[in-house]
Amino acid sequence: MSDGPLIVQSDKTLLLEVDHPLARECRAAIAPFAELERSPEHVHTYRVTPLALWNARAAGHDAEQVVDALVRYSRYPVPHALLVDVADTMDRFGRLTLQNHPVHGLVLSSSDRAVLEEVVRSKKVAPMLGARIDEDSVVVHPSERGRLKQALLKVGWPAEDLAGYVDGQAHPIFLEQDGWHLRDYQQEAVDGFWAGGSGVVVLPCGAGKTLVGAAAMAEAKATTLILVTNTVSGRQWKRELLARTTLTEDEIGEYSGERKEIRPVTIATYQVITTRRKGEYRHLDLFDAQDWGLIVYDEVHLLPAPIFRLTADLQSRRRLGLTATLVREDGREDDVFSLIGPKRYDAPWKDIEQQGYIAPAECVEVRVSLDDEERMTYAVAEPEERYRIAATAKSKLPVIRRVLERHPEEQKLVIGAYLDQLEELGTALDAPVIQGSTTNKERERLFDAFRSGEIKTLVVSKVANFSIDLPEAAVAVQVSGTFGSRQEEAQRLGRVLRPKADGRQAHFYTVVSRDTLDSEYAAHRQRFLAEQGYAYTIVDAADLAGPGEVNGPDWVDEPAD
Amino acid sequence: MERMPTDPPATLAAWLRTRSDEQLAALLAARPDVARPAPSDVVALASRLAVPVSVDRALDELDAATLQVLDVVLLAPTDGLPPEDLPAALPEVPDDVLQRALGTLTTRALLWGDDVLHAPDPVRRAVRHPAGLGRRALDLRVQLPADLPAVLAELAPEEREVLDRLAGDRPVGHLPDTTGTASTPARRLLQRGLLARIDALNVELPREIGLLLRGDRPYGPPRLRPEPAVTSRDPEVVDRQAAGAALEAVGRVGELLTLLEEEPAGLLRSGGVGVRDQKRLARALHVPEPEAAWLLELASAAGLLDVGGPHRDEWLPTRGYDVWREQDLADRWALLASGWLGSVRLPSLVGQRDVAGKAANPLSPDLVRHTAPAIRRSVLATLAEHPAGSGVAPDELVALLRWRTPRRADRLAPVPGMLDEAARLGVVGGGVLSSGGRGLLARGEDGAADGMRGLLPEPVDHVLAQPDLSLIAPGPLVSGLADTLAVVADVESSGGATVFRVSEASVRRALDAGWSADDLHQFFARASRTPVPQALDYLVDDVARQHGRLRVGAIESYVRSDDHGLLAQVLSDRRTAAAELRRLAPGVLVSGLGADEVLTVLREAGYAPAGENPGGAVLTRPPARPRAAGRRPGSESQPAARPLSGDELAATVREIRAGDAAVAARRGEAVRQVPGVTTASTLELLSRAVREGVPVWLGYVDAQGSGSQRVVQPVSLVGGFLQGYDERRGENRTFAVHRITSVALVEEEDAAG
Repeated sequence: MSDGPLIVQSDKTLLLEVDHPLARECRAAIAPFAELERSPEHVHTYRVTPLALWNARAAGHDAEQVVDALVRYSRYPVPHALLVDVADTMDRFGRLTLQNHPVHGLVLSSSDRAVLEEVVRSKKVAPMLGARIDEDSVVVHPSERGRLKQALLKVGWPAEDLAGYVDGQAHPIFLEQDGWHLRDYQQEAVDGFWAGGSGVVVLPCGAGKTLVGAAAMAEAKATTLILVTNTVSGRQWKRELLARTTLTEDEIGEYSGERKEIRPVTIATYQVITTRRKGEYRHLDLFDAQDWGLIVYDEVHLLPAPIFRLTADLQSRRRLGLTATLVREDGREDDVFSLIGPKRYDAPWKDIEQQGYIAPAECVEVRVSLDDEERMTYAVAEPEERYRIAATAKSKLPVIRRVLERHPEEQKLVIGAYLDQLEELGTALDAPVIQGSTTNKERERLFDAFRSGEIKTLVVSKVANFSIDLPEAAVAVQVSGTFGSRQEEAQRLGRVLRPKADGRQAHFYTVVSRDTLDSEYAAHRQRFLAEQGYAYTIVDAADLAGPGEVNGPDWVDEPAD
Repeated sequence: MERMPTDPPATLAAWLRTRSDEQLAALLAARPDVARPAPSDVVALASRLAVPVSVDRALDELDAATLQVLDVVLLAPTDGLPPEDLPAALPEVPDDVLQRALGTLTTRALLWGDDVLHAPDPVRRAVRHPAGLGRRALDLRVQLPADLPAVLAELAPEEREVLDRLAGDRPVGHLPDTTGTASTPARRLLQRGLLARIDALNVELPREIGLLLRGDRPYGPPRLRPEPAVTSRDPEVVDRQAAGAALEAVGRVGELLTLLEEEPAGLLRSGGVGVRDQKRLARALHVPEPEAAWLLELASAAGLLDVGGPHRDEWLPTRGYDVWREQDLADRWALLASGWLGSVRLPSLVGQRDVAGKAANPLSPDLVRHTAPAIRRSVLATLAEHPAGSGVAPDELVALLRWRTPRRADRLAPVPGMLDEAARLGVVGGGVLSSGGRGLLARGEDGAADGMRGLLPEPVDHVLAQPDLSLIAPGPLVSGLADTLAVVADVESSGGATVFRVSEASVRRALDAGWSADDLHQFFARASRTPVPQALDYLVDDVARQHGRLRVGAIESYVRSDDHGLLAQVLSDRRTAAAELRRLAPGVLVSGLGADEVLTVLREAGYAPAGENPGGAVLTRPPARPRAAGRRPGSESQPAARPLSGDELAATVREIRAGDAAVAARRGEAVRQVPGVTTASTLELLSRAVREGVPVWLGYVDAQGSGSQRVVQPVSLVGGFLQGYDERRGENRTFAVHRITSVALVEEEDAAG
């Protein structure tokens, strides 16, 4: 009986004991073919999925390596059926290949006629195929490349894409590494992406995804289209690119609701691209405006459905997806994989935290008991109203105040989903409120003030879910959210994960109404955070002690002066 | 020993008489069905050997090479073939194979004779198409053309093709199904008298044509033992793989039975488990439906699952399951494996449609095949012939089995399914028998357990509690901890390890089961090797805080009255103490005793209570978990007759010889009697023999009802029993006089003859 760090489960999940001496080595061995699902403190869970196995094949790993890794590191005998299944699944990859034919252009060909026959006859696939060239190959229209790959994936015969990428119009881009340098994991992520051609890099918020993007651009040295969630985050990108690369102001264009610049590096928002007038996407020309060598999708988990379709047309260009979490509440992770590309890099958050690149965070859930009147209101409310009533309960206010008082000298964010509640909080806490209708100018002003420490507390709406950079936020308090969305949780947590100048701990509070839907949703979020490896504590509002009191924080923030 | 120097024996019986004791013992060992009960003499033995069932059974066990030698004798133009002629008939068969085949056939008395080989008639009848050739034209009543070779040479190619096909393994073929009078090749051949019609549908190729077409190989190609390519694998890898499968099987069966304990599967009227239950179980176990069916079959084969319940209409875990789950992993696996090996059911048939188009349900009685255990055993035995770490591929294994018992080839259809099951169980790993499988074959359940022990992980007695409220058991759990965890947490993923999740619902379930929050805290602290996360403790407290705000209790009866004073009086009355009344609310007293008892007590105390319609009485849970009676697997359905031991063989041969000698003994006039009716003349003859000390010849029927003839030196005749010494059998015996059917004095010379 070997004493490996890995336990292989019947449902194809892999349990990795983190404290085992071989754990690091084992992780490296299984990472190519297993998705990291959960990384709580002691035992991490990976899942072997067909997609992951095919991605491993695409990256040049064969079934023997996979089986060997499983058998070598497994503590217990591995069920044979599982190994056979792994081999069978991997064997399905590459029976079909997409190639550039000198005469016919893009061609789907097969070494296994039966498979090609099956695929050609499939109702889902057939419409994307053109004329049959011979028994082993069939023409594919270049614009169907992405959709075809997606459809083939769904029928279980993934195609190996050997058609390659266009280089795009060359444009010199270099990183200016003076006084800083690319972190190891960022370099690994870029290398992983570049070797694979296209794909997604998963890094926690604050871990420097923008730099991964910049480094990828420096690698491509070609015109680049960057798609971001909103204008603020677009400006963020621009600032970062100006600071970290040889790119100059003139080379970077902004393509948003306000400005429509097309430059060698263009930053566009998802919103503007998906804007329709008279049922037509008006800005699709952007994609053809340049011979783009690289397309970067920021926050790829938020990629709107229309962009999926566009991406299907862009299969010959290199694509880089950046995200903190691949969890999509719409369950379309597979689409991301098949259109942008497989996951090329991810790392347990805790690992990066341990390396000191993101701030360690303490997650605290504070449970507030509703008063009798609120309980009654809640009890008689319509089901669809219940969450709002629980989440916006007045009883939360004193607790929020108390939480903020615990950290008098920190930069604090109060995050919520309901505007009424946010307005109330803003008034009660005497803090400015940023919400969707706040103008970009006003936002930038408030952010600058917050950054400089002029403002200590900001109340923000869902806009905080998107990429804004508040480097000095050390405390986040969420008071209401979107039905326990894990993706939202990851984003919000990301707000406080940027490393602090003095290595201080970040605090992430969730204020929850006890015995209501609010606490039920909180349980989802709690699980998500714990699965990411964060310590999670639940306290009763009554037990929430101020600094220096019993059960209070161990330290008191020194006044900054 | 006592070969007669006279003419060769003329009959099978006479030949048998010339065989040595060892040879007879070998015959009985090879055909045990004729040895029980012991035949009284050689003639009886010969007639039993001629019983068609016995002949078929003996032939069924022969391999293709042996059958081919038999074919040569059967096809000899005259009855009787000198053994020297065999090599010429089968020139491609090595001599040692011939000799071995001949030995096998004569040992089993399927051929007899020393200088000339004869085939007994029953054997001739049992082999319908010797060497795959049809009957003679004469027997088929076909007039063959005079110049057969010339006629054959002129045939059209497609006609020739038909003949060639029929000259292969099977001389009988279907007539093509043509409605019109179109002349198919077969019909043209029929018209020309080259084929014989044997019924409306079938035709047979006359032997003469078959022989002609086969040319210099009249008996077909030599049926040599196929030499399957041996696959070799590292035995350690095989064992590890098998252990993986074993772990999986044991774990899955355990989960399945836990599910069935909570919600039994219904028994279909046609027997078996319904599709809906099968689907439910598959869903709950996260396995495909065929896998769920296999697990059901496996659990049933091991005697862990059976029909039970109050109305005997549910599939429930058996009492055996309670014992099983306490055993260590190797023993648990061994029970599954031996249950599977001895099972008369074919799980691979689940889901296959019968002629009516109805798919077979799991555990349906339609899946019973009594030959299954024998086939399984022969499959494993064939694999076991290879040294550890080597085996053969499934299709080659089937080919080899087909060669071994060609007459049973139709029974080999389930073999691939069986190999698949063996692999799923861990009896076989990658086509090679595992140590556990080898042990199972050699020494049954104990052997299986010994073979697998050490390969399976030791049970662990702790879990790792994680902040996401999951508990991970990094190995199979000791059963006590597993039971507890089943209450306080839900299983999320199983396999080598088990992932449990503690949720609000699971904590509530534990509280319902009588745990206190403190118990739970202590349990988690004790069971977890990692610090218990704060969130887990908080969850327990939070659920406990809410638990029990509504109270439910069980009572059997109540006493109510609008007269509160009267109730107070009843409650304080010492005479009603036996009614165990207590006050629940103003105006209501309750008791844990039944309404009848409370009524009686109150009446005896002088009150005048009246019973009320018992609506609202709370029923308590039934005290014990439901269990089916179940049976111990393996004990029943002994597939093959128990082989005869050496002692038994010797005794039986001695019996036959004695009987034979007794028949041969010259004797005086016999006195016959109907068994059970002792006649005076019998007694007289017997007492005379005792008195004079002369041997008697006895016809005797033993307690099992089998008759025998013996020569006995009588010693005494007392109380209806004759004591005497049976020289041939070399034993002192007591004979009940009423079982003696005939008596005669043996004359003068010694009785041994």
